[in-house]
Amino acid sequence: MQSLARALCRATNGDCGRRILQLQSGSLSTFCRREVHTTIQKGSDIFERRVVAFPKTVACSFFRNNHSNRCMSTAAQPNADLEGENVASALQADTPPRIKFKRLDKTAKQIMTILDKEAVEKVRSEKEVPDIQPGCIVELKVEVPENKRRVSTLKGIVIARRNAGLNTTFRLRRLVAGVGVESVFPLYSPNIKEMKILDRKKVRRAKLYYLRDRMNALKK
Amino acid sequence: MLNVADNSGARKLMCIRIIGASNQRYAQIGNVIVAVIKEAVPNMSLEKSEVIRAVVVRTRKELKREDGMIIKYDDNAAVIIDQKGNPKGSRIFGAITEELRKFRFTKILSLAPDVL
Repeated sequence: MQSLARALCRATNGDCGRRILQLQSGSLSTFCRREVHTTIQKGSDIFERRVVAFPKTVACSFFRNNHSNRCMSTAAQPNADLEGENVASALQADTPPRIKFKRLDKTAKQIMTILDKEAVEKVRSEKEVPDIQPGCIVELKVEVPENKRRVSTLKGIVIARRNAGLNTTFRLRRLVAGVGVESVFPLYSPNIKEMKILDRKKVRRAKLYYLRDRMNALKK
Repeated sequence: MLNVADNSGARKLMCIRIIGASNQRYAQIGNVIVAVIKEAVPNMSLEKSEVIRAVVVRTRKELKREDGMIIKYDDNAAVIIDQKGNPKGSRIFGAITEELRKFRFTKILSLAPDVL
């Protein structure tokens, strides 16, 4: 109760204080009056007079309306202003629609996924890209820019596929001149001129790394 | 222990040092190394425990290209060369990558059965 009294004292200057006093007048007048009198040595007679003068009836509706003070009504009004002067205006005016701002990195992530999808659709519309899954035997026609001469044909089994939007890659395993070679190709790479699925094997896995041990045994 | 990818007479090499790099730990495709022959085919010009130079042509560690392609072999292999860079053998086994062209090993590339 003492702390309440001190708070009331601080709030006396503003309008807010008066309303709080109005609210608490019911309880105050009965048991607090004496305490208020003793704790406040500030010599503010106005304060004491106010406590006594206000009617007992508590304005309950005021208390309910008071809740809207706490939340942010618009982006324009800063939080710190919510004492005294702004209380009345906040109550009477309608709360304007809230502008919701995501955290900047979340917004950036959304934009990136949209850009990614657009890029993928653009490539898909120009080039026909088949659905390559692990276990497919695939024949690719790849042009290596360092080669500059020809388009080489690669044939192998897809052992892994990694989905990452435009950077979706798949891993191809093949035997080249007696040596096993694994290559990772970006699915939407402009260097891959043509892709053809020759066969689809039934596999029960997404990544077929166990083939590394198997195919080696066949080689030697 | 590296395999030997040509018919010079050696079978296995052990890398001693990388040429041209003072503190480099691991040789990559295209690096010239100093190696000692650990295993050799009998009755040929190269013998066991001879120190020679070789160029690494295949590694189990992935080789990355700028277009996003990654190449990884199943073994480590080297081709024995002389001081100038010409291979000692007359045939090369296995696939070779285009990166050797940058390092001026054109003779090896021309002998290779398949260039990746």
